[in-house]
Amino acid sequence: MSSLRRLLWNFRNHPKRELWFAWWVMVVFYQLYGVLFFLVTRVQPPPSPAWTTPMIVQWFDARHDGILAGFGIVFLISGLCAPMNALLAYSMRRMSVSRIFGYSYLVMYSLSAIPGMLVMAVAMTVGAMRPDRDPEMIRWLYDFAFLSFSGTMGVFMIGSLVWLIAILIDKNDVFPKWFGYLGLCNGLTEVVVAPAWIFQRGVFAWNGAIAWWINMVVFVTYTACFIVLLRKMIVREDFGTGPLPDLPSKPERSQADSVGAMQ
Amino acid sequence: MTNLQEDSSTKADRHATRFVPGQPDMWVFVLFESLLFTGYFSVYLVGRIQNRELYLQSQAALDLRFGVFNTIALLLSSWAIARCVQASREGAYRDALRDAFLTIGFGVAFLVSKVLEWGKEIRLGNTFTSNEFFQHFFFLTSIHLLHLLIGFIVMGVAVYQLRSPARRSQQLVETCATYWHTVDFLWVLIFALLYVVR
Repeated sequence: MSSLRRLLWNFRNHPKRELWFAWWVMVVFYQLYGVLFFLVTRVQPPPSPAWTTPMIVQWFDARHDGILAGFGIVFLISGLCAPMNALLAYSMRRMSVSRIFGYSYLVMYSLSAIPGMLVMAVAMTVGAMRPDRDPEMIRWLYDFAFLSFSGTMGVFMIGSLVWLIAILIDKNDVFPKWFGYLGLCNGLTEVVVAPAWIFQRGVFAWNGAIAWWINMVVFVTYTACFIVLLRKMIVREDFGTGPLPDLPSKPERSQADSVGAMQ
Repeated sequence: MTNLQEDSSTKADRHATRFVPGQPDMWVFVLFESLLFTGYFSVYLVGRIQNRELYLQSQAALDLRFGVFNTIALLLSSWAIARCVQASREGAYRDALRDAFLTIGFGVAFLVSKVLEWGKEIRLGNTFTSNEFFQHFFFLTSIHLLHLLIGFIVMGVAVYQLRSPARRSQQLVETCATYWHTVDFLWVLIFALLYVVR
């Protein structure tokens, strides 16, 4: 009962409720994204671009129900990108850097959700919707969907670099510098996707060991790091404009929580 | 008394082991990049094991002189940046600045030689799409060159720090040097794998 009261109090009065909402949306969204793309629709990890038309048709057939149900949910939750991107831009607004950084990041990431997620999902759904469609059309949709997904990598590269520069020149200590350098690492792995435009097989194809697998490991590490670091940023946030205070120690935090509950 | 001495010496040891040149954050980058390139090298080696003949034949088409020249150029650049850090630590900023420009100079020599080598290979008909070996060759050398280009920006930061008495952050100069050494270190591995290992 007391925990419910505490939750209600936090919901109505907590000064950081919007920040925590956006952070939880981010956690839930990434979990769902993984489950929907890898387990429900099973369109990731990507199949080979070198496949023949009958293989592609069979691939769609085997995933028919999963694609329709999974992408149905993707369309429903795609708007969750907004609070997520807002939190990322907020981190840059809290830094001692120009507003240009936050705004560029916000615009870029909002736009990349269209080809990287929605267009891909539409193409996949169209491909799965009518199994009796002309096989060549299904093959066309297959290429279109995966190239649309890979095509957003340049945007992610510039996004990583924008965040990287903001972190390195920031004087408010919002993020540790090592995360900025990890952003450089992540940005450079996005460059590696470009050869997927040329190759249909091998390590540089859209399903290749270098163009997909290694990149995915780096991207998952990068994402896990920024989710943890954003959480720390929210805990440290004092709504001022100067340097962010250090992370409060555990007893201080639990004391602050219980004061909140009492109030 | 002995205990006190032991205590102070262990403290000093601990301090010495904790110290890294520049920002510790840059060393995290070195670790990430090393892991990432280990991934790229592993993929290359797996490809090589599966298709040994093709890799050996293609490797024979490479001009080892370019590889050796590039390695020497980058090793000299690393030597120059190490001298730059040393000079900056001693407060000899004029010498440090000269060594920083020397580092950039050796970097430019590497860049020019790399572009000439690519031109030569392309004229011989060995391009990014020729075969699996040349895919790796052009990929590894280009991604490394991208690191070198970023290295010029990093060296710009070092020069900017060294120029004005108002700045001169020793930590930043050492951070830049750590990045530059990473570029050199990665090249030595790439050189060994692409040109030397048969």
